[in-house]
Amino acid sequence: MGAYLIRRLWQMIPTMLGVILLVFFLFTQFGGDPAQVLAGKITDQAQIDNIRKELGVDQPVYVQLWIFVKQVFTFDFGRSWVTKEEVSHIFKQRAGPSLTVMTPILLIELLLGVALAMWVAYRRGTVSDRAVMIICILAMSVSFLVYIIAGQYLFGFVLGWFPVQGWSDNLWRNLTYFAPLPILLAVLVGLGPTIRLYRSVFLDELGHDYVRTARAKGLSERAVMFKHVLRNALIPIITNLAMALPGLVLGAFLIEIFFSIPGLGREVKIAVDRSDFPVIKAITVYLAFATMVFNLIADLLYRWADPRVELR
Amino acid sequence: MNRRLPRTNDAGASPGVWRLAWQRLRRDRVGMASLYVVVAFLLLIAASHFGLIAADWQQEKGVSFANPSFLPHLENREAQQSLQLQTAQAQSDPSHLAQFRAVDPLAATYDQVQQRALSYQIKEPARAMTLPFGGDKWGRSVLAKMIKGAEISIAVGLLAALIATMLGTLFGALAGYLGRWVNDLLEWFYNVFTSIPYLLLIFAIIAVVKANPALQSQGLLTIVLVLGLTGWTGVYRLVRAEYMKHTHREYVRAADAIGASVWRRMFVHILPNISHIILVQLSLLVVGFIKAEVILSFLGFGVPVDMVSWGTMLDEAQNELVIGKWWQLVGAGLLTMAVFVTAFSLLTDALRDALDPKLK
Amino acid sequence: MSTAYTHVAVAAQPPQLLRIDRLSIGFRINREDVVPATRAVSFAVPRESVVALVGESGSGKSVTALAVMGLLPKDSAVIGRDSGIYYNGINLLFALPAQARSVRGKEIAMIFQEPMSALNPVLRVGAQIEEVLRTHLRMGTRAARARAAELLSEVGIPEPQRRLASFPHELSGGQQQRVMIAMAIACEPKLLIADEPTTALDVTIQQQILELLQRLKTRHRMSILFITHDLALVKRHADQVVVLQDGVVREQGGAQQIFRAPRDAYTRALLACRPGLDRRPQRLPVVEDFLNSDLRVDAQAQAFPERVRGVSADDAMVLIVNHLSKRFYLRSGLFEKQPLAAVSDVSFRLPKGKTVGLVGESGSGKSTLGLALLRLHAADSGEVLFEGNDILRLPPARFRAYKRRIQIIFQNPYASLNPRFTVGQILLEPMQLHGIGADDRERRELALAWLRKVGLEEAAYAKYPHEFSGGQRQRIAVARCLTLKPEVIVCDECVSALDVSVQAQVLNLLQDLQDEFGLSYLFISHDLAVVRHMSDYMLVMRAGEVVEQGESDAIFHAPQHPYTQQLLAALRN
Repeated sequence: MGAYLIRRLWQMIPTMLGVILLVFFLFTQFGGDPAQVLAGKITDQAQIDNIRKELGVDQPVYVQLWIFVKQVFTFDFGRSWVTKEEVSHIFKQRAGPSLTVMTPILLIELLLGVALAMWVAYRRGTVSDRAVMIICILAMSVSFLVYIIAGQYLFGFVLGWFPVQGWSDNLWRNLTYFAPLPILLAVLVGLGPTIRLYRSVFLDELGHDYVRTARAKGLSERAVMFKHVLRNALIPIITNLAMALPGLVLGAFLIEIFFSIPGLGREVKIAVDRSDFPVIKAITVYLAFATMVFNLIADLLYRWADPRVELR
Repeated sequence: MNRRLPRTNDAGASPGVWRLAWQRLRRDRVGMASLYVVVAFLLLIAASHFGLIAADWQQEKGVSFANPSFLPHLENREAQQSLQLQTAQAQSDPSHLAQFRAVDPLAATYDQVQQRALSYQIKEPARAMTLPFGGDKWGRSVLAKMIKGAEISIAVGLLAALIATMLGTLFGALAGYLGRWVNDLLEWFYNVFTSIPYLLLIFAIIAVVKANPALQSQGLLTIVLVLGLTGWTGVYRLVRAEYMKHTHREYVRAADAIGASVWRRMFVHILPNISHIILVQLSLLVVGFIKAEVILSFLGFGVPVDMVSWGTMLDEAQNELVIGKWWQLVGAGLLTMAVFVTAFSLLTDALRDALDPKLK
Repeated sequence: MSTAYTHVAVAAQPPQLLRIDRLSIGFRINREDVVPATRAVSFAVPRESVVALVGESGSGKSVTALAVMGLLPKDSAVIGRDSGIYYNGINLLFALPAQARSVRGKEIAMIFQEPMSALNPVLRVGAQIEEVLRTHLRMGTRAARARAAELLSEVGIPEPQRRLASFPHELSGGQQQRVMIAMAIACEPKLLIADEPTTALDVTIQQQILELLQRLKTRHRMSILFITHDLALVKRHADQVVVLQDGVVREQGGAQQIFRAPRDAYTRALLACRPGLDRRPQRLPVVEDFLNSDLRVDAQAQAFPERVRGVSADDAMVLIVNHLSKRFYLRSGLFEKQPLAAVSDVSFRLPKGKTVGLVGESGSGKSTLGLALLRLHAADSGEVLFEGNDILRLPPARFRAYKRRIQIIFQNPYASLNPRFTVGQILLEPMQLHGIGADDRERRELALAWLRKVGLEEAAYAKYPHEFSGGQRQRIAVARCLTLKPEVIVCDECVSALDVSVQAQVLNLLQDLQDEFGLSYLFISHDLAVVRHMSDYMLVMRAGEVVEQGESDAIFHAPQHPYTQQLLAALRN
């Protein structure tokens, strides 16, 4: 176990370096002159030179790369070019709202998705199975945008069941007042693909020989599903879930934009609009690191859930 | 059991794997229905591309928010307002600028421009009160925009999916078959790409493109490349796994034994055997990229402003819905995009079933 | 579907435990078509007896067993209306689900061919056995646990208490099958259905499992329905034999009668076409020989004169293998790799026009050795001399010429032909690559000639592999080798996946080709009888090492190494 963990962490180093290199070269090689971006329409050469010096872009590439690496590992990306807000402060401020919305979405989607998928897998081949699958495909074909636009209009404007948008500083009020509509819409959108994925997982398991053995033992179909199939299907489901976790931090950015939720996703969109490079760079690098960590966790969970895999 | 399946071929004619798949697909009613829908859409966008239909989508043919023809009597306050505004403008004398004329050296030019503009306005035919599927804010036909939007959105989806699939297949084949350092290198590449959440990667690239004038002016190509160059990872993963599996299959060993070269084994022997998997991945990507294009265009990061796609239509629809103009939302979001994507997804499912090579 | 038969009353305590009556099952492959699997199969299983249900693939033997257990796939299986499977007066085919469940696992239990996949991989062995006890006997946790341990020791698993906490993958194949058996006998069933229970196991383990089943049958006074493709396997244990072919019962009766005086031509063929340990006919009899004549088995055997085998000192050696080794590496610890010797220090010589047999159980390294000879696996050390050239060290360009001269036939005829190529393309490709024949027209003529040679029609040329049966595909694979006119052919388990009757045909074909073209074979197999039939000289491999080599007949008459003796003893039983 220990050896496995160390080896995995060791293997993460080249990937981390790769992410840093990718982000660095993407922004320095293709991003145009940051001074031009910052200065906007200002044509005063002295001013531009000044900005260049401040950003260090007049230095050779390797020095700039070194500055960037230092920034990554000291968690100091400086300030936003636009608002002059500390990038680390942006992280602290925006992560909370994203998590408040995303955690319920993920949990509800998981529970509903697994339950429904198990039910349709149990009734495989019947009319209800086919009907659910076709509804899933139909639901998946409508753009997320249509759900949000129509949902916001219907539930917010016309029926007035939920506030159209908004956010407060109070977690409880956010959860009970502002978050339900975004959560409802996101779950509606996410359910289709989730059911399809988990259904195929269950069907895959149902095709295995151990299911035949369980039936040959005289177990009821219900016992076969819950004791044998579910236990095996949990392995891919857990893995899948752990991989989905980094998305939690970024949030469903569309939801955040439409409902004016001050989360990280909305922040990214605003930063892209404003060409606010430090914010985008920081979020990209750190979310990549988070993804690696969650992938490792997924791997460990997988190995923990499946006794066949040895942690060597 | 397999060998006891009834032979579908008539005496002599021997169906290949693809022909058998086609025969199975033909028996799938849902699959065939979706195939017809997809083909109809493809014909439609081909016609639109060659200017046979919807070439005039940019013309402002109707009044602002013209009603759909089948609902001619809906109240249209916006149109009335703009009509009033127009008449007021037409009646007002352009000579209200006369006081500046004496000091402005360009006054004569301005005058000419004004005159020409007026002459155009007069030549413009009367705006229609209704359009087949309603009009947008500027009075453009929503139906024409739906068709043109379909062309752009589907074209972006198809092209980007082709690029991503080709890249993914090439990388996957190399890594899976050659193994060793090629595999290590490509795996590293893959890990780097996938550790950045997909949308964030696209956003980062878009941020860069936006800031770089040289890259920005490429129009549609930009979004096609952004989607295509970032979307290969899923195909790569699958193709690599397939190659690793097939590398040790006996038919590949047999090909090695008779002296077939590495390239021949990779692309003549193995590739046709996994082509059905690649085809299904390609169709999944098309759907995914169409959805992605819609979202990116909605955010203003997608197709250029002088083009129309389902995404830009939905962007407009957001504000229109609040004032009760639902046709752009329904037209783009449901009648075209949802229908096409549903048909394409059902076709993909049917293809997957038909291609599943149980017969080995 | 009718439940009319549920009410048919059968006299109390019938002499038969299970009666199968006109069982017809088909599988729906699409809306219109149903492919029949069994047609009006009738037989009975008496109390406390072993009935062997014997047939080749596609005979419907497994389908029959699954029907008894009620395990047929519900959406595709179509059961004939007048079919019946009677147990205690109940027609199981049309019983209520709850009623059928109370019989399944309790009164009738089943074990399967692949114990590894039949056990749930993520549940502990103990939990899987206890589950049966709790479901059917309503035992408490502790009682079930104690009983499970008892059962494990009864099926001969050492340290049963500790093994209860093991996961299936931590046990060997034989032990896994023992766990399956423990699970099956947990509720003292009256009938145990064993579906090819030893086919996936090595010869030596096979014998132990058979003996265990026999012991349990006597002790628990149960009946066994033993399903197998191998008639010889049940000779010692079966009381009654039912022979199935293509879903129809060809013959049934007492085991004595079936083995001594089979009435049906197909049964006779099955008995005769498997190579024996005591005879080596010039040519193996095949089913057609029996179906077309009324000869008795003994007379039939005499119609095929014996073949004499062996090597002599003046044989020219076509291939000399010296100290060949091949290691694989397993990862262990932080950064180390642990070597695993797949082939270690193997040396032998292959005489021209003769066959060297290579026998060993799974994991003995015999296939790795075969692949290394063709450089399909890179060997670590040693040399393979072909006309004095070490072909392992030749640069690729020079090796190409030798590649043509050593060819290989693989085990699985379903995997060794590219499904996307027509037979024509499969046969033309090697000739194109090596420049045999002036143009494609000439190559086509050659290919057609080879097709005829291996006993296929010319019409096969335009077809795809999936249109052929396993035996026919193996003939195509042979033809593909022959297009290159090789001198050495490595036959890697090339008849193991085939039915006995087809196996005989392919073995005859290989023999004919050797006689005609003077080919040299390296014949790799786990099946001693087949190896003895084919080879002049043989090697016995275990765990990567050759434990014994010599003339085949000598080894069979007087095996020196204990391992060889063990293998032969298992076979003779």
